[in-house]
Amino acid sequence: MDFGLVITNAITLACIYGTLAIGLSITWSSLGLVNMAYGFIFALSGYGAWLASLYISSSAPVIFAAGILTGALGGIVVCLCAFIPIHDKPSFPIRGLTAALAISLAGNELLMWIFGPRAKSLPQLFGFWKVNIFGVVVTSDKAGTVVSALFLLTLVLLWMRSSRRGLEIRAMMMNPHAASIVGIGVRSTSIYVMIMTGGLAGLAAVVLAQTYWISPFSGITPMIKGLSIALVGGLGSVPGAVAGALLLGVNEALTAALLGGQYVLITQFLLIILILILRPRGIAGILDRAREA
Amino acid sequence: MNKPEHAVQRRIVLDVNGLSAGWGPVRVIHDLDLKVSSGERVGIVGLNGHGKSTLFQAIAGLTGWQRGSILLEGHQVGRTRSQGPGRYTHLVVRRGLALIPQGDEIFHGLTVEEHLDSGAFTRRAWSERSERKKKVLAIFQPLQKLMKVPVGRLSGGERRMVAIGRGLMADASLFLVDEPSLGLAPKIGKAVIEALLAVELGDSAMVIAEQNVGLLEGRVDRIIGMHAGKLKGEASVLLPHA
Repeated sequence: MDFGLVITNAITLACIYGTLAIGLSITWSSLGLVNMAYGFIFALSGYGAWLASLYISSSAPVIFAAGILTGALGGIVVCLCAFIPIHDKPSFPIRGLTAALAISLAGNELLMWIFGPRAKSLPQLFGFWKVNIFGVVVTSDKAGTVVSALFLLTLVLLWMRSSRRGLEIRAMMMNPHAASIVGIGVRSTSIYVMIMTGGLAGLAAVVLAQTYWISPFSGITPMIKGLSIALVGGLGSVPGAVAGALLLGVNEALTAALLGGQYVLITQFLLIILILILRPRGIAGILDRAREA
Repeated sequence: MNKPEHAVQRRIVLDVNGLSAGWGPVRVIHDLDLKVSSGERVGIVGLNGHGKSTLFQAIAGLTGWQRGSILLEGHQVGRTRSQGPGRYTHLVVRRGLALIPQGDEIFHGLTVEEHLDSGAFTRRAWSERSERKKKVLAIFQPLQKLMKVPVGRLSGGERRMVAIGRGLMADASLFLVDEPSLGLAPKIGKAVIEALLAVELGDSAMVIAEQNVGLLEGRVDRIIGMHAGKLKGEASVLLPHA
């Protein structure tokens, strides 16, 4: 077995799924919405990037920008349909989940209707080169994936740490009731959250399209993986999501190398069940320094 | 009155008329009237479960349902509504309300400093937040060396200081303080109230709800009793200069 390949695969997968997991985690803890439409946003931004590569330019920055912008746009649509009209109604979590799921199903069919079932592919954005780091061969697409995911995530997390909007979002993640008391508007903040998480989905879609295809239903599996990572990490915790992504990335790469790709989901969910039995609050329960209120 | 009479005309900061509010089928506040004018410190005392907190929450739009008129600085912030608790709260806060809720309602992962910043979300308060922080720290000195500590790790008394400090950061014309001594050791509770009463109000007003009359007696401009969702006692006191 080639351990170098396992490690690089694990890290690449962790970056992509971690990006999605952080997006889902932030949406859940700040808005209380399980964004089941995330897979649709993911597929939509893939198509956005593909259209841009076809009609505007096939240079990497244009394709990235198109993917991220389409993702942000998809986030706004989901926010306007599945959050703002119903967020203060009774039993919102289940209603929001249903609404987001409906958007996902309808949206995926819409993509199928417009673009057809044939998969599309994006041009190679990171070129064709390899580097050899301590005997481990790193291909350009993997290096590019890791660097771009880390870059955008760092940007997002820095923004959340230092800006006023970021403080708003973090306050809402920790205590939505208190957030309204200090004058944070849930609806205006929700738009920012959805733009940001939509953009993250767009980035993940563009980088994942380097290895996989863009198809109307291509977002479902990444969304399920992102959601399970967010669960393992403890919903609402960014460091937890990062740790969960690494863990599940290693698991996926190891299972694929040792047992075969068809067993990945089995070992993945066994691992998730095990972790949630041992730590009901997920990995975040270990990382969290502060007591619950 | 232990306050010097101001030469300036006092204006009415809060004018509540015929307010009823509650949760689901339960009606907690019954046709309540309340006027608070600027520069005034009002104590509302009453037993547990008689509607002090619900009154504050109704003013902030946080109750399950409510009807009746609430004028904050002349703007109508009371709406007849049957659901959506908290939906308009941020708009009421932007009109100049600072609610310091019972049980602190802190953000347990934010540091003390970020917490104080989060209290200054109105536009003017945000631009002046460093001066405001200095003022709050002068009142609650123990917080000075805790600025970088997550609030979730503080003690009960320190948390209360953070919660009150967050309220004082706001550019508010009306401060509603709900049970500032609740759950604290008597000595610490007393210190918190002392600090609260020492805050310079200027043009704004403060209403403190408290179960312990002794802590407020003789140190606020008037005390109103609250019983079974209605104000008793001095509720009809005339406003100075009004």
